[in-house]
Amino acid sequence: MTVLPTSAPAEEPAQILGKKLEPYLLVLPAMLILAFFFAGPAVYNIALAFQELSLFDLGREGKWVGFANFAEVLTDPSTGQSLINTTLWLTIITVVLRLALGLGLALLLNATVFSRWKLGWLVRSLILVPWVTPPVVAVAAWKWLLDARYGVVNQALMGLGLIDQGIPFLARTSTVWGAIETMLIWRELPFVVITILAALQSIPSELREAARIDGANEFQIQTRIVLPLLKPVLAVITLLTTIWTFNNFVYVWLATRGGPGDYTQVLATQMYTTSFVDYRMGAGAAVGVVMSLIMFAFALVYFFVIFREK
Amino acid sequence: MSRDSVNSHPIRDLVTVVLGVGLLLILAFPFIWVVLISFRPEADIFTRTFQLVTTFTLENYAILLEDSPFPTYLRNSLVVCTIATVVAVTIAMITAYGFSRNRRFVGRQTLLIMVIATQLFPFVILITPLYATFFSLGMINNPLALIISYIAVNLPFCIYMLLGYLDTIPRDLDDAARIDGATTLQIIFRVILPVAWPGIVTVSVYAFVSAWDEFLFALTLMTSDENKTVPVGLAGFFGEYTTQWNLVMAASVISTLPTLIIFMFLQRKLVSDLSAGAVKT
Repeated sequence: MTVLPTSAPAEEPAQILGKKLEPYLLVLPAMLILAFFFAGPAVYNIALAFQELSLFDLGREGKWVGFANFAEVLTDPSTGQSLINTTLWLTIITVVLRLALGLGLALLLNATVFSRWKLGWLVRSLILVPWVTPPVVAVAAWKWLLDARYGVVNQALMGLGLIDQGIPFLARTSTVWGAIETMLIWRELPFVVITILAALQSIPSELREAARIDGANEFQIQTRIVLPLLKPVLAVITLLTTIWTFNNFVYVWLATRGGPGDYTQVLATQMYTTSFVDYRMGAGAAVGVVMSLIMFAFALVYFFVIFREK
Repeated sequence: MSRDSVNSHPIRDLVTVVLGVGLLLILAFPFIWVVLISFRPEADIFTRTFQLVTTFTLENYAILLEDSPFPTYLRNSLVVCTIATVVAVTIAMITAYGFSRNRRFVGRQTLLIMVIATQLFPFVILITPLYATFFSLGMINNPLALIISYIAVNLPFCIYMLLGYLDTIPRDLDDAARIDGATTLQIIFRVILPVAWPGIVTVSVYAFVSAWDEFLFALTLMTSDENKTVPVGLAGFFGEYTTQWNLVMAASVISTLPTLIIFMFLQRKLVSDLSAGAVKT
């Protein structure tokens, strides 16, 4: 019998190379897709913003016009209005309200009585209802609830004798933002509640008990112990909801198309209208670049503040 | 439990539950209302506002499914979202495995940060350049354009979530399979996939639902009625000038069914997984 070598066979150079290459081969397809889909369009969008190009001339190179599109977008008085609409009425108000309402509801639902009475399933099912509703359905449902003649809201107000005839909430400048904000907050509130609830449930109950034994009351426990522990989660939710809402198109578009007149126009609907209704792709791209710059600046400031706190 | 009983006050408990469930019912009301209205005869929709129950009828659903283009929208959405989900999760699985099992290759950190950064990307600026690109490729109004878009949009989140899952699966499994002569792809799909099943379900549900709900890409890239998806088709029912409310109600309920069913079966798991995923970002 031949004596077999006892040491393990040395790896061939090709095998070693294969091992080194393997991670790259595994992640390459996804990275190519992301490059094609995010990096490519982002660069192309910037290039497009410096051209004049009609939707009908796509495929050809547009006329290079320097900063003309930006000059037009930034000097157009309706852009200022869109900017205020997007920032204040669409984003800040709904983010603040979502955080406040979401925090309140999460603190309430976190009470031990819900698990003691075995109501967890009911709470979870009900809170998920707006969230499983597609945004388009959310807008449809609220348009019906707010309908001037047949909607529950108007019928109830008339029934209570508060008004004589139905209010067309989405057609009046005094009520239209409130109506859009209601739709958005309704659909997007569960994300905030669920995320905060998850964080609350990860706080060890010993912490509350210890505070209670030291004589803290319920309010002190919530503000001095629970809230500080929620800070990281609230920070993430604020960042995500702000960015998602600032760029959101669907609620305003389906509720009002930016109307009445241009009253509820936001940057996302202005961009879509410029590119796909007025067929001016270059000017639309310029609006997109302005939006991205604002969001980028927001993210930078945000990370700076978070970083300083740590 | 003994600790709970010390500070449980029956009255306070009752107030908490009534308040909590009451608020949640108010929150759920708009959708419950849509469901109720969808079973009313068209005439009753406009007259008996406050009556909780009127005549029960399936006529709105019958009109929707027999005399409207809604079944086409439904089929388009199912095809596009299913293909996009399967492909996105498959690619994400391979990618996440690559990141999870190779801790120290050059560029790993940078690539991972890029994957996470796309979560903060303003999607709305993609639409103009993507329209232009798909136009040059002759793919406007081609469902494949939508499928590709949804794969790409969902990929980062899927990679990120699956990476978290794969990191918890012991590497001994891979090593054992490798000694038996399995290739890397065989390990991913024959060994890891069955173990990572719970994570894959969560990620697939997320990818499917986000594609199912998507409006802007479908509105822009699919121009003819026969290629529209459910959200865009439904939006057409409550257009600027006329609204067919009976169809809107029935279509709203059917559009919500897939997500409603999925979440009903998986509520406990999905809520914890998705919130964990969101918070980790």
